[in-house]
Amino acid sequence: MSIPHTAAFNTSLQGADPRVGDWGLCAARYEKDSCGFGLIASLDDKASHWVLQTAISSLNRLTHRGAIATDGKTGDGCGLLIKQPTAFLKAVAQEAGFTLAPLFAAGLVFLSRDAAQAGEARRILTEQLKVEKLSLAGFREIPTDPEACGSEALKTLPIIEQVFVNAGSDLDEATFNRKLFLARRRAEKILDAQDPVFYIPSLSSSTIVYKGMVMPQFLVQFYPDLKDPRMEASVVVFHQRFSTNTLPQWRLAHPYRYLAHNGEINTVQGNRSWAVARGPLFHSPLLPDLTDILPLVSLTGSDSQSLDNMLEVLLAGGLDPMHAMRLLIPPAWQSVDMIDPDLKAFYEYYATHMEPWDGPAGIVLTDGRYALCTLDRNGLRPARWVITKNRHITIASEAGVWDYAPEEVVEKGKLGPGEMLALDLQTAELLNTQRVDELLKSRHPYKAWLKKGVRYLQTDLIDPRLAAEPFDRDTLALYQKMYNVSAEERDEIIRVLAEDESEAVGSMGDDTPMPVLSRKARSLFDYFRQQFAQVTNPPIDSLRESIVMSLQTQIGREANIFVPGQHHAEQIVLSSPVLSQRKLRQIVALADSGVPNEFIDLQYDEHLDLKTALLQICDQAEAAVRNGKIVLLLSDRYLVEGKLPLHALLATGAVHHRLIATGLRCKCNILVETGTARDAHHFACLIGYGATAVYPYLAYQTLFDLMRKGALKMEAAARQELGRSYRRGIRKGLFKIMSKMGISTIASYRSAQLFEIVGLGDEVVALCFEGSESRIQGADFDDLKADSQYLAKRAWDLSVPVEQGGLLKYMHDGEYHMYNPDVVATLQAAVMTGDYEQYRQFAALVNERPVSCIRDLLKLKANAAPISIEDVEPISSIIARFDSAGMSLGALSPEAHEALAIAMNRLGARSNSGEGGEDPVRYGTEKNSKIKQVASGRFGVTPEYLINAEVLQIKIAQGAKPGEGGQLPGHKVNDMIARLRFARPGVGLISPPPHHDIYSIEDLAQLIFDLKQVNPSALVSVKLVAEPGVGTVAAGVAKAYADLITISGYDGGTGASPLSSIKYAGTPWELGLAETHQTLRANELRHRVRLQTDGGLKTGLDVIKAALIGAESFGFGTAPIVALGCKYLRICHLNNCATGVATQHNVLRSKYFIGLPEMVVNYFKFVAQECREIMAALGVSNIADLIGHTELLEILPGETPKQRKLDLSPLLANSALLSAKPQYCIDPKNEPFDKGVLGEQMLRDMRGAIDRKSGGEFAYQISNFHRSIGARLSGEIAKRWGSTGMSAAPLIVNLKGSAGQSFGVWNAGGLHLHLEGEANDYVGKGMAGGKIVLKPHVNSSFIARDTIIMGNTCLYGATGGELYAAGRAGERFAVRNSGALAVVEGTGDHCCEYMTGGVVCVLGTTGVNFGAGFTGGFAYVLDMERDFVDRYNHDLIDIHRVSPEGMGTHVQHLRGLIEQHVDATGSVWGAQLLNDFRSYIGRFWVVKPKASAIDSLLENLRRAA
Amino acid sequence: MADKHLQFLDIPRKEPDKLALEVRTTEFREIYSQYSAESAAQQAGRCISCGNPFCEWKCPVHNYIPNWLALINDGKLFEAAELSHQTNSLPEMCGRICPQDRLCEGACTLNDGLGAVSIGAIEKYITDEALKQGWKPDMSHVIRTPKRVAVVGAGPAGLACADILVRNGVTPVVFDRYAKIGGLLTFGIPPFKLEKDVVEKRREILQEMGVEFRLNVDVGRDIAFEELIAGFDAVFLGMGTYTYVKGGFGGEDLPGVHEALPFLISNINRELELEKDAAEYIDMKEKNVVVLGGGDTAMDCNRTAVRQGAVSVTCTYRRDEDNMPGSRRDYKNSKEEGVTFLFNRQPIEIVGSDRVQGVKLVETRLGPPDRRGRRVPEPVPGTEETIAADAVIIAFGFLPSPPDWFERQNIGLHGNGRVRVSAAPRYRFQTTNPKVFAGGDMVRGSDLVVTAVFEGREAAQGILHYLGLRSALSA
Repeated sequence: MSIPHTAAFNTSLQGADPRVGDWGLCAARYEKDSCGFGLIASLDDKASHWVLQTAISSLNRLTHRGAIATDGKTGDGCGLLIKQPTAFLKAVAQEAGFTLAPLFAAGLVFLSRDAAQAGEARRILTEQLKVEKLSLAGFREIPTDPEACGSEALKTLPIIEQVFVNAGSDLDEATFNRKLFLARRRAEKILDAQDPVFYIPSLSSSTIVYKGMVMPQFLVQFYPDLKDPRMEASVVVFHQRFSTNTLPQWRLAHPYRYLAHNGEINTVQGNRSWAVARGPLFHSPLLPDLTDILPLVSLTGSDSQSLDNMLEVLLAGGLDPMHAMRLLIPPAWQSVDMIDPDLKAFYEYYATHMEPWDGPAGIVLTDGRYALCTLDRNGLRPARWVITKNRHITIASEAGVWDYAPEEVVEKGKLGPGEMLALDLQTAELLNTQRVDELLKSRHPYKAWLKKGVRYLQTDLIDPRLAAEPFDRDTLALYQKMYNVSAEERDEIIRVLAEDESEAVGSMGDDTPMPVLSRKARSLFDYFRQQFAQVTNPPIDSLRESIVMSLQTQIGREANIFVPGQHHAEQIVLSSPVLSQRKLRQIVALADSGVPNEFIDLQYDEHLDLKTALLQICDQAEAAVRNGKIVLLLSDRYLVEGKLPLHALLATGAVHHRLIATGLRCKCNILVETGTARDAHHFACLIGYGATAVYPYLAYQTLFDLMRKGALKMEAAARQELGRSYRRGIRKGLFKIMSKMGISTIASYRSAQLFEIVGLGDEVVALCFEGSESRIQGADFDDLKADSQYLAKRAWDLSVPVEQGGLLKYMHDGEYHMYNPDVVATLQAAVMTGDYEQYRQFAALVNERPVSCIRDLLKLKANAAPISIEDVEPISSIIARFDSAGMSLGALSPEAHEALAIAMNRLGARSNSGEGGEDPVRYGTEKNSKIKQVASGRFGVTPEYLINAEVLQIKIAQGAKPGEGGQLPGHKVNDMIARLRFARPGVGLISPPPHHDIYSIEDLAQLIFDLKQVNPSALVSVKLVAEPGVGTVAAGVAKAYADLITISGYDGGTGASPLSSIKYAGTPWELGLAETHQTLRANELRHRVRLQTDGGLKTGLDVIKAALIGAESFGFGTAPIVALGCKYLRICHLNNCATGVATQHNVLRSKYFIGLPEMVVNYFKFVAQECREIMAALGVSNIADLIGHTELLEILPGETPKQRKLDLSPLLANSALLSAKPQYCIDPKNEPFDKGVLGEQMLRDMRGAIDRKSGGEFAYQISNFHRSIGARLSGEIAKRWGSTGMSAAPLIVNLKGSAGQSFGVWNAGGLHLHLEGEANDYVGKGMAGGKIVLKPHVNSSFIARDTIIMGNTCLYGATGGELYAAGRAGERFAVRNSGALAVVEGTGDHCCEYMTGGVVCVLGTTGVNFGAGFTGGFAYVLDMERDFVDRYNHDLIDIHRVSPEGMGTHVQHLRGLIEQHVDATGSVWGAQLLNDFRSYIGRFWVVKPKASAIDSLLENLRRAA
Repeated sequence: MADKHLQFLDIPRKEPDKLALEVRTTEFREIYSQYSAESAAQQAGRCISCGNPFCEWKCPVHNYIPNWLALINDGKLFEAAELSHQTNSLPEMCGRICPQDRLCEGACTLNDGLGAVSIGAIEKYITDEALKQGWKPDMSHVIRTPKRVAVVGAGPAGLACADILVRNGVTPVVFDRYAKIGGLLTFGIPPFKLEKDVVEKRREILQEMGVEFRLNVDVGRDIAFEELIAGFDAVFLGMGTYTYVKGGFGGEDLPGVHEALPFLISNINRELELEKDAAEYIDMKEKNVVVLGGGDTAMDCNRTAVRQGAVSVTCTYRRDEDNMPGSRRDYKNSKEEGVTFLFNRQPIEIVGSDRVQGVKLVETRLGPPDRRGRRVPEPVPGTEETIAADAVIIAFGFLPSPPDWFERQNIGLHGNGRVRVSAAPRYRFQTTNPKVFAGGDMVRGSDLVVTAVFEGREAAQGILHYLGLRSALSA
C-alpha cells in the first residue's frame, strides 16, 4: 500500500496542474462521489434500441442528482453499461475491416493523447492478450464529438478507441472472460506507473461500457454510436455522478465494469487492506494463480471502483453476482431476531472470511446474465422500480424517470434495506430478496458446518473475579503511573463506564493542546483523531437503529472462500472484542485442543531503541505465524524494572502491517493484553489497526480497587457485574465510534485505520500505521521513548503519587488549558469595564501563551511599511464578518440567547439561533437571530422560522462531537423549550446523528435547493468540521450551491457530549481551513462561496491568522458566552450552571445571570480594534487583502523537541498557477443550475391569491425533475401570514404525474397539494400546515395499498398539517414528526422514529424498528399479519389493542381519520375498512410512548390543536 | 430527593459555629468549632466541580480543592487527608489562618451571590479529624538516603521544606531559636485563631516522619553557620522577617507605643506559660488602645487587646475599607468583638509628653494607582484630628532582618534586604551560595503563611535536584 503523503506544492513539478495530484493539503484520494443511477431491462432478454434510448433519457432526467463544473457544461461524469449489442458491434467491426470470431469481446480504451504513449499502451495490451492466447481483432477509432464537452472535460479528454478481441474456438464464454480479465489486469499493472491516462472501461464478451465526463444531455452527442439504431440491448445500467471534486477524471465516471453505485463505501480503507491481506488466500480452480495480478483491488481512487474490482475477482473465481453481492454487502443479520437459521448460517459462515463492504450503497449491476439491484443494510439510498406492460423493468433512484402512461404500470415498488432484486435473463425469472436468499442458503450445508466447527466461549453473567489476581495498592499505582492513568481518568472515565454502563458526558470543548504540542507525556492514543462521516455519507444512529450493528468477532484461521467446506467454520466466536479475563484464559487454554498461540512480551530493554524493539517483535510474530500459531497475544502485563513497555498500539500496528506484507495476515489473530486501553477510543484504535480482541487488565484492576475501597456508587448486586457493566460501556462507545463513520460491524472497522494522525513523524507512521492520514509530521520514536522513560521513572519510584490529572479540567501543573481561569477572568474584567487596556491583558495572555495550537506556531511576518491605523477599515466593517456560533435555546438560557442576539444585531453582525427553534415573538425585533440553523433534529424549523433569516445554516457536524447526534436532557425541556421545539415538557429530545434527508452529497444539494425555494433571499450556509478530505467535501458543497461554508475545529464547544467525542474527534481548523481554501481555489470554486472558520477564536490575532489561512468570516462560540458571564465550568449538561448561562433553572437564570448585551458588544469591538492594530502593523488596510495571503505568515521553529519536528509547510502552500485565482467569494450568490421553473410559474399564478388571502384552485402537470414543489409558495405565504395564518383560505393545487423530491416541503397552512400519480423522497418534510394528498392515477391497475406512492423520509421534522396517501411510504416515514397528522397504507422500516408529536395512522404493514426514539404523539397501526409486536422498537413505546370497550374515543377518532383519508384520496382500501369496520377494529394497535397515559393522548392532541 | 447538582442552591453556605461573643472575647480559645462529618459532607457537596477550578488556581499551593471536597462528600476522610497533604504541608493551619475570602473562597464560582463553598473550614476539618482518627502520612515507600539537610527556622517555610525532604528520604534537621516550633505560627498568630496544640501535633507528626528538631538553638549565636555548611549536604534558610516597619513620625518612641510582634509574642508567652519574667508581658487591660495598620497582624493585635480587657480598641487604616489588605473574616470578627475602625486616616504623630496620650490623624483620599496598581492615599489638608490613646500598637508590616554571616557565606541580597534566589526551574530557591537555599518571607518579604509553605516546598524540590535525587523526574 502506498502512503500518499502530502507534500508541499512544488512548481517545478512537471506539468504541475494544481488540480491534479496532491499539493498543500489537497489530495485526490479524498474524492467522494454520489449520484443518480438506474437500469432498464427487458424481462425476456429482448434487445432493442428503445431500451438504450429510454435509459439515456432517464439518465437525463436525473441531471439534478449530478453536479456541473463552473464552465456550466462539464458534468462529473455519466455513462452506460450495456449488455453486449452484438449485432451492432459486428457491423461496425466489419466496417472497420476486422474479422470477428463467433465469440468476441469489445470494449472502449482510453488512451493518452501522446501518440507514443498511446502506441505503447496498445502494444502492451496486445501483448498481454497474446499471453492469454487471445487474438486482437483490431482497434476501432470510435467516433466522438468533442463539442459535447465542457472546457474542463476537454483539458483531459483522452483518445478513445474500441478494441475487439476474438476467442479461440476452444474457449467457453466464462473462460474467455477470465482470460480477458487477466490480460487486462496485467496490462494495467505494467502501464500503471508510466501512463496515467490508460484505462479500459470494460473488456468483455457480455457487456460494454460507454462513459465520459459529460452531462447526460450530451452523452449521445459525444458518442454517436449510442444513437445508431443498430445498437440494441436488452439491459442497460446507467449512472450520473456527483463528485465532490471537479478534478476531471474520465476514468472515474460510472458505471464500472460490472456495477454502478450510488452512495459511499465507508469501510473501503479496511476492505482494501483486507483485500491485500487475503490476496495470497484466493485460489480457485478457475483462477489458479492470482499472484501476478495483485493487488486485487485499486488501492486509491474511487471506493466504487475498488468494490467493482473485488466483485470482478469473485465473479472470475466462480461466484454468481447474487452470491458475490450478498457476501460483499450483506443485510443486517446478527441482531435480527426473526431470521431463518439456515440463512443466518449462510451469512455467519461467510462473515468469518469476508468483512462487509459497508456504507450507504445502492448498486445496480449486470454481467450479461443477471441484471441486479441491491441496497445495503441501512437502505439509505433510494431505489424505485416499475414493471411496465411492455415487459420491461426500470429501476432508478427516483420514480418517474421516463413517461410511462399510468395504465402501462403493472407493478411498482422500492427496495428496502438489505434487499435485492435480480433478473435472470436466461430464465426470465425475477428474483426478489426471499427467492435469492433461498437459493443461496441451500447451496451448502452451512448450518451443519458451523455447528461442527464454531466454538462459542462460555460467559458468566456474574464475574466477581474481575481480576483473578488483584494488584495490591503499590502494584496498582506502579501500573497506573506507567500507563498514565490519572485520578481524573480513574474517576471521570473508568468509574463512569462501570457505574453508568456508558461513556461519561461532559460539556464545553477541548481547550488543551494536541499531544504533539503538549509539554506533557500524553497517551499515544491522543495522537489519533477519529474520522467521521459528513455530507457524502451519513453516520448511523447506533442507539435507535441498533438492529444493524454488530460487534461479533471471530478467532481462527481464514480460508479460501472459493473452496467451501467445513474446515472454514473452525472458529471461536465472541460477541464482542472486549475480553474478560475469563474469556482470554479460555482462548489461551484452547491451545491444548488445537489453537496454538504465541505470547509476545512487549517489555523491551531500556537501552534498546524503540524501532529496533518493534522490529524484534515483528520478527517474533512473523516466525510464530510461520510456525502455525493462530493467536498472537501481545502483552504488556508483566512489567520489569529496567525494561520499558512498548506501546500496544505501536506493536499492534507494526505486527499487522508486517503480516500483511509477508502474506501471513489472514492466518492468525492479534489479541492484545494491555494496560493502555481504558476508554472506547483506545479499543477503537487497537482494533482499527488490526487487533482482533483486547483484554484491558488495568481498567479491570482499577475498577476492582475502586470497588475494594467502596468508592463505587452501586448496589451490591451490581458490583458483582462490574466488569460486565464496564464492557457494556465500552461496547456502546465502540458502536458510537463505528457509527460515526457509518460503519455497522466491527469486522469492517477492524484494520480500517479510520483515524487521522496529528503529530507523528513519518518513521513511526511508515512502520506502524502505514496508509493512515498524517499530514504534518511530529514525534519520532525517540520522543515516544523519552515519554515512556519519563513515565517509567516515576512509576518505579513508589514515593511519587499517581497524577491527579488535568486533561479534562484545568489543574495546576497539569495540561495547559486555553480557557484557563486567568483567561476567563481577564476577559470578563475587560468586557465588564469596557476598558481596552484590560482587554489587552487578556489578549496578551492568549496571544503569548505557550504553544497550544497550530496557529501558535505561525507568526505574522514583520512588515517594513506599516500604515496608520486611520487608514485601516473601521471596526464596524470588520465586525460585519463576525458571527456567533450556533448555540441553541435549550443549551443556553433564554436570557443568554437573547442577550447574544441583541448584541450581534446592534453590532451589525449575525447571531445564530442554534438548533432549537426561536420564539416567533422575537422575529422582526432586535432579538431575532439572523442566522437560523437547520440541524438533524429539525426542532422548530417552520416556514416562518426559515423566512425570518438572512442565513440558513445546515449544521452537518459540530466540532465537539462530529458525526454524532445530540440529546437535550429532559430536565432542560421546560414549557417554553417544549413549545418552541414542538415537544413535551420534561421529555428528553434527540437530535439524530445523521440528517435523515442527507445521506449523500446530492441529498445535501436537494436540501439546499429546498431552503432556497422557501426563502430565496437567504444565503445557505453549511457547517462542516475539519478532518482530512473536508476540502473536497467543501468543494462538493460549493457545487451543491451553498453560499457559505463554515469549517469548525475540533475545539468547538457543546452543551453536552460524551467526553471521548470532545477529546478524540475532529482536527484543528487550521488544517481544515487551509485544505478547504486550497481545494476550492484549485477547483475554481472559491469565488462562489464565502468561507468561515470557528473553533476557539478569542483575539484579533486569531482572526488575522484565520484570514491569512483563507477565511473571510469568523465564528465565535465560547468567547462571547464567557463575556456574558460563563466561567467555563463544564457543567452545562447538568442544568446547574451557576452563572445562569447554560441552564433553564428559574432561580439560576433570574438571580445569577449577569450578562448584558453591552459586554458582548465590548468584546467584539475590542477584537476588531485589535485586528485594526495588527493590520496597521502589517500595512494592510482591508481584511479582504489578507485572505489567503499565507506569505505573510512564517513558521516558528517550535519550543519542544516534538514541536520542532512538525512540518507545517503544507498549510501555507500556495500554487503559482493559481495566483490569478480569487482568494475569496466574489459572486453575490451561488445560484442553482435548476431554476425551479414550475415553482416560479406557480407563484406567478397564485401570488395575487396569497396577497389577498383569497385562496383558489389551480392545476399543473409535474415530473420527477420538478423538485421542492410548494416550497416557493409556502415561503411567500409564511412571509405574509405566518406558518398557519392562511389556513382558512386555502390554495388548492391539483397536480398530475411523478413529483420530484421534497414535494410539499415546509408546507404552510393554506396550501393544499393534491397529487395524482406518485412522489419521490421527502414528501411533506418540515410541513407546518395545510394538506398533502397523494393518490394513484385513476387508470392505474396495480393494487394501491401494496404499492409505493412516496419515497423515503417523508414528513421529517413536520410540525403540523395533514397528509393522506393511498399507497405505501418508504423508509423512515414521519421521522421526527412533531405535529403532523398522516394516514398512509403501509410504510418501510424505522417509521415514526424520534417522533415527538402528531398522529400517524398506518393502514397496512410497517417495516422493522417502528417507533425508535418515539417520545410524543401517537400512532395507529393496522396489523393484519399479527406480527407488529416483532416490528416495533420496545425501548420507549408500548402498544394497546384498540377495542370498542373502554376505548370508544380512540375508535371514534380512528374511524374519523379513515373517513378523512377516503374523502381525500378515494382510497379503495380505506373504503373497505370502513365498510367492515367492526371486523377490522381489533386488528389496530394504538402505539404510544410509555411515558404517556393512553387516556391523555387525545386530550393532548386537542390541546395542541 | 434533592438534585445533587443543585445542592449549592438548596443548602446555604454554613461555616462551623462560632463561640458566643461574651465567651470568646474573654478567652484565647479558637472561636470556630468543628464541622460534624455530616455537615462537612454536606458543605463539601455544594462544590459544583467546575471545569475551571478557580479555587485551585487562586490557591498559592494549588490545593486539589474540588477533589478533596468530593472525597469528603463521599466520606473518604483519610483519602482526603492524603490528597490534601500532596500539595500542602500544613493544611490544618492554612485551613485556619489563610485569608480564604481573598484566595480560594473569594475565587469560588459560587461566591457570586450563591455563597462560596466553605473551603477553609473543610480543609481544617480534614486534617484535624483524620489525625484524630489516627491517620498519619504514609512513609512506607520512602527509601532513606544518607543525605542530611539543615533547615534554619521552624516557621512555615522551614516546616514545609522539611516535610518534602523527609518524604524523599532526606533527613532534615530543623534549628530554631525558640523553644517551640512554628515561628510566627506559634508566636505571632494568636491562639484564638490557631491553638498551639495544633502546632504541637504537627511537630509530633513531623518527628515521627523523621524530621529532627534542634530547638532553642539560635544559628549564628549558639551554633556557627559554618558548622551547618560543613556538616550537612545542603542548608535551607526560612528565617522570616522580623524588622518592623516604622511609621516615621514623631512620638514613636514614647512609652505605651508598642510594636505588634513583641506585643503578640508576650501574650503567647503568657498563654503558653513560657514567660520568663512577668515584666515581659504587655498588657492592654483597661486601656484605650489604638492599633495602626490594616493587615492581618493589625487584626490580631485588635483582637488580642480586646481579650486582654482593653476599654476600647480603635484601628486606623490609611485606605478605605475595600482596600484593606487584612482578611475579611478577621475584620468581621474584630468588629463583632467591639473594635472601632477608622478608615482613610493616616497617623502623622503620636502625641504625649512622657507617655502616649493620643494619636494625631489626618484624613486621606485615594489618588491614582501606583506601579502595582494600588491607589495611593493622599492626605487631605486641614482634616487633622487627635484621638485619645493609652496605648498604641504599630502594625505596619515587617522587613527582612539579614544576619551578618550572610555576607561571609556569599548569600546575596536584594537592595531591600531580601535574599536573592535562582529562578531556574531545577534549582529553584537556590541562593548565590549553591549549597544554600532559602524561602518564605525572607525571600519575598512579609507575606502569607501559605506562600511561605509553597516556597519551602519548592525549595525542597530544588534541594532534591541539587542533591541529585530528582533529576530524572522533571518533565
